[in-house]
Amino acid sequence: MVGERKISLFGVINTLILTLVAVATLYPIVYITAISLSDTVSVVQGKVFLFPKRLNFEAYGEVLKNDTIPRAYLNSVFYTALGTFVNLLFTAVAAYPLSQKGFFGRKFFMTAIVLTMFLNPGIIPTYVVVQQLGLTDSVWALVLPNAIWTMELIILKSFYENMSSQIREAALIDGASEYRILFNIVIPLSKPALASIGLFYFMGHWNSFFLPLIYLNDPDKYPLQVVLRDMLIYSAENDAGLVDRSALAPQSIKNATIVLSMIPVLLLYPFAQKYFAKGVMLGSEKG
Amino acid sequence: MEHPAANYKTVPKKSSRSRLGTTWNHIKRDRQLLLLFLPCILFYAIFRYGPLYGLIIAFKDYSVFSGVLGSEWVGFEHFITFFTNHDFWMLFRNTLLLGLYTLIFGFPFPILLALLLNEVRNKWLKKSVQTFSYFPAFLSVVIISSMIIDFLSPNHGILNQMLAAFGFETKYFLVDPGWFRPIYVISEIWANMGYESIIYLAAIAGISPTLYEAAKVDGASRFHMIRHITLPGLFPTMLIMFILKTGSMIRVGYEKVLLLYNPMTYDVADVFSTYVYRKGLLESNYSYAAAVGLFEALVAMVMLLSANAVSKRLGGNGLW
Repeated sequence: MVGERKISLFGVINTLILTLVAVATLYPIVYITAISLSDTVSVVQGKVFLFPKRLNFEAYGEVLKNDTIPRAYLNSVFYTALGTFVNLLFTAVAAYPLSQKGFFGRKFFMTAIVLTMFLNPGIIPTYVVVQQLGLTDSVWALVLPNAIWTMELIILKSFYENMSSQIREAALIDGASEYRILFNIVIPLSKPALASIGLFYFMGHWNSFFLPLIYLNDPDKYPLQVVLRDMLIYSAENDAGLVDRSALAPQSIKNATIVLSMIPVLLLYPFAQKYFAKGVMLGSEKG
Repeated sequence: MEHPAANYKTVPKKSSRSRLGTTWNHIKRDRQLLLLFLPCILFYAIFRYGPLYGLIIAFKDYSVFSGVLGSEWVGFEHFITFFTNHDFWMLFRNTLLLGLYTLIFGFPFPILLALLLNEVRNKWLKKSVQTFSYFPAFLSVVIISSMIIDFLSPNHGILNQMLAAFGFETKYFLVDPGWFRPIYVISEIWANMGYESIIYLAAIAGISPTLYEAAKVDGASRFHMIRHITLPGLFPTMLIMFILKTGSMIRVGYEKVLLLYNPMTYDVADVFSTYVYRKGLLESNYSYAAAVGLFEALVAMVMLLSANAVSKRLGGNGLW
């Protein structure tokens, strides 16, 4: 239509608003990166707004010299890798039987699983269970209590349901076991779905802060998020809120740590976007 | 579409005895699948139903040494202590208000964003705004909270620098009880707007294009189309999202509260979950905290059920 080619007032305002939204979401991140790359004097004088002033990488050097942060970084990498692997394995192994129409007790299991989405006993009883199992202060306290996310399980189950059952039937006739079918046929064929839910799991582990905070006592085991919190937000028990909490460590060092912690997220973001959107949509549909 | 696997034997159900036999055959036939399923059963039994069983400590004086079963029964003592405590009303008010404000103020933004994005003709602009707007969904609460603290810092926070530049007095927002709720709600909107708009964009994409074409022929303007086609088309999705959000309203994002509050703002910021964390895990009052947690869970359940009932009344489409 002719009218659409014209520049309308609505179009201009709309573009303006949306640009504002984009800037507002992006600015804090740009600002933090700029601070982390500027020299201390410019930061203290409040000269940095958008671009780094007197570009340097000193802050990053400082961060890597100190051993708390690199160790926390490695801890985070380890927890995330192990956690995501366990998540995917548990979810795949659980989703496959559930996706088979005639599977024994399928209806009962599904009901019991979906029910847990509504029954949430809270932090304390879960903590007590983890404690009684003797998992406290180990990686397993972070991994096992959340080995399966119900939403992700349902998503993968529906993906498997939509896969052709003929492959499985043919394999069964050829004498393949269910294990072989799952690990050699179904899982390789479901890579996109696994990537999608794997991403949610990955983000969950990488950004996890509360679980390591309550389950880990040994500071050497802290992941990055807990160390970040100690460094950025929480100084000590006697912090009465009167201290300016942003004055805990030099600004550029804090921001360098934040930027470092965002690197895996930034690297994954281009792929993540696509799958993330898909996952959100599947998640919003009724199980 | 697909027919069930060919090797399933159909055994007629006659007496209970043969049904038992059928069950046994069923288990035998599915033994491999059941073995694969075992981790799942164990996981849900231990970590999802186990804590439900563990909830009985709310009615006991739990000590780590005597265990869940060995501890002494105290009935509703912890609940009574909690309800008669003056903290109770403060927590109730804080939780409700923080949740309510987030729900009311946060709800329209993703919808608005989706509507605006839908009207953009320029593909590049649309794509980049979307890409940027849901980036915060990938950031951890710790990072988001530290950014908030940083931006609001009285010494070098960018907001205070701006205030100072315009001749206003600088302020330490985070120790001012009056500012806690706005800060919390605004940052929630900032972090979730883009991410939540995805769902609405998808719903808009599902509206039949013939409706728009017919409206165009009838000479409807963009605003008319938004009002009479897009918004009604979004209504079911909005309703579902609203129920879900009401259900989780009481479960305010406690991680962020935990990171942002301080003794100066406890009076407005302390919510059920942070209280549970402090009483239960920091002060080791497991039973008392479990009672508080149980109360919170019950309130959440009631809210979800009533939101669902209201929605069914309104449009006939509930969650179940």
